[in-house]
Amino acid sequence: MSAEMEKAALQKPAIQTHRIFQRFTTGQRWEHLLLLISFSVLLLTGLPQKYRTSTWSQQILSTPERVDLIQTIHHVAAVVLIIEVIYHLGLAIYLMAKRKLPGDIFITWQDIKDAGMMVAYLLFLKKEKPVFGKYTFEEKLTYWFLFFGVGIMVVSGVILWFPELITRVLPGGVIPAAKLAHSTEAIVAGIFIVLWHFYHVHLQRLNLSIFSGTISEDDLKTYHTLEYEQLTGEKIMTSENKQS
Amino acid sequence: MVSKQPRPHSLFLIAGFILAVAAGFMITGGAAAGTPQQQSTEEYCLSCHNDPELQMTLPSGEILPLYVSPEKLSESIHSPLGIECQACHTEIDTYPHPENTYQTRRDLSRSYYLSCKKCHSTIYEKAQDSMHAQVASEHPEAPVCTDCHGSHYVQTPDEPRAQISTTCSKCHSDVYADYKNSIHGSALIDEDNPDVPVCTDCHGVHNIQDPRTAQFHIDTPEMCANCHADKELMDKYGLPSNVYNLYELSWHGVDVSVYKARWPTIWHESAVCTDCHGTHNIFDSESPESMVHPDNLLETCQKCHPGVSANWTDSWTGHNEISYERTPWLYYIDIFYKTFTPVMLWIAGIYVFLQILRATIERVRRSKQ
Repeated sequence: MSAEMEKAALQKPAIQTHRIFQRFTTGQRWEHLLLLISFSVLLLTGLPQKYRTSTWSQQILSTPERVDLIQTIHHVAAVVLIIEVIYHLGLAIYLMAKRKLPGDIFITWQDIKDAGMMVAYLLFLKKEKPVFGKYTFEEKLTYWFLFFGVGIMVVSGVILWFPELITRVLPGGVIPAAKLAHSTEAIVAGIFIVLWHFYHVHLQRLNLSIFSGTISEDDLKTYHTLEYEQLTGEKIMTSENKQS
Repeated sequence: MVSKQPRPHSLFLIAGFILAVAAGFMITGGAAAGTPQQQSTEEYCLSCHNDPELQMTLPSGEILPLYVSPEKLSESIHSPLGIECQACHTEIDTYPHPENTYQTRRDLSRSYYLSCKKCHSTIYEKAQDSMHAQVASEHPEAPVCTDCHGSHYVQTPDEPRAQISTTCSKCHSDVYADYKNSIHGSALIDEDNPDVPVCTDCHGVHNIQDPRTAQFHIDTPEMCANCHADKELMDKYGLPSNVYNLYELSWHGVDVSVYKARWPTIWHESAVCTDCHGTHNIFDSESPESMVHPDNLLETCQKCHPGVSANWTDSWTGHNEISYERTPWLYYIDIFYKTFTPVMLWIAGIYVFLQILRATIERVRRSKQ
């Protein structure tokens, strides 16, 4: 700590005020909840279908009626997810066209540099972590991985749902390809969520912003330093960070 | 009613002759065969039944031929083994015979075949479980032992092998007509091929079951796999031996294997081998007669998928490994998931691991300060 900061700390009044910043809108929180539920239901009803020849799956799908039921649940959840995807894309395009939504989520050259710096930090080549804006490159990667993952799942899922209709337009070869993609991408997305997303929002620190919609001043300062500076006009970056 | 009755005045003469012959055999031939009485019956019976014109009329009006060819009998399986007339015709031990009680020739067959049970009890029991035995009460024409094996002139039933399909064709002529032109049937009949299946290889021998049941349908892939998953056998004919394994991974195959494991008695439409390749009318897939020939494939698919477009047939990958030539879409998706995605996941995994490592070391350091 610099001498200046220590002085500032000593001068703090006895009553501390904690500011809370908005991170997500109500709509975004609902969207996440909808995604979470539909994704989980799809995975839970999809896995027994993928592993139909295994014993555990056959215990769940113990009658032909159960197979029909689980497929119906899977389709209902799929419709919910598709509606959510359409809403999400439609709203994002509309808001960005109206210049009401900044393109914070898009990957920039800075994210590649951030990733390099972060790896350097993790390998003890650098002492300080890089500082991030509204979305860290880790969060952007989560978003885009799922963006394309859900895209693949929706497209291949629709092909598998209506194969006879689809082949009126598309070549027959897309059916087995969609089957392979749907079956594999589900596992890939599942692994990614557990490995990457769960670690970052549950283990690394419990980050409930997506449910509360808010972020505390301390967290904003620590994890989204650049956004904090942008919102408050304060400069808290150290000289070392600025260089990097 | 016996149409040819020995005249009264010659009756003594015949009886005397027979007695003399019988007595002679008791003494001479008996030592060789060990069962003197049986050895003698054939001789005794044939003394009348070697007459090609010997016959009687049954109450139903049917003519029952009573001729037994001594030559053919001597070439049959049973007679040289010393199993002679009375072994089966137990109720007849001399002449005059007891009065006929059979109304029809079928009555007679259905009664006499029970004699087979005396020696062949295991096979008899198996046959009692068969489709043929089950329908016998409603359909007396359903075959009994002697209908397939013959009665007096029993021979080894599978020499030559084509004999088996000929035997079944006596009743199942329509099926035989399909079979004899098929790739299996023509190889059997024209070349006496020892590897192709005959009727009994798929349907069983004595305990033949109804092939229209859900159970039979669901068991079909495994049945075909008996030969078509046999690498040595398939190599002999230049055929792929992985068709069954690849089928098991296919949409139809997974479905069928689940039904087989869980609900074998519930009918399920998912296609098995015979639904696409045909049952008795199986041809080389490159033959224009084959149901899976490119010209006929769409029609074959449409049996279960009515109204699908011509593109549909390409959605079936065949029993082929993923390849660029046959299934380009599948090929690229497969490459994507074998290279790009695992690399992505590994990078993510290593990154998270490094994060955990760094955070732990940082925490330890801070606690020491």
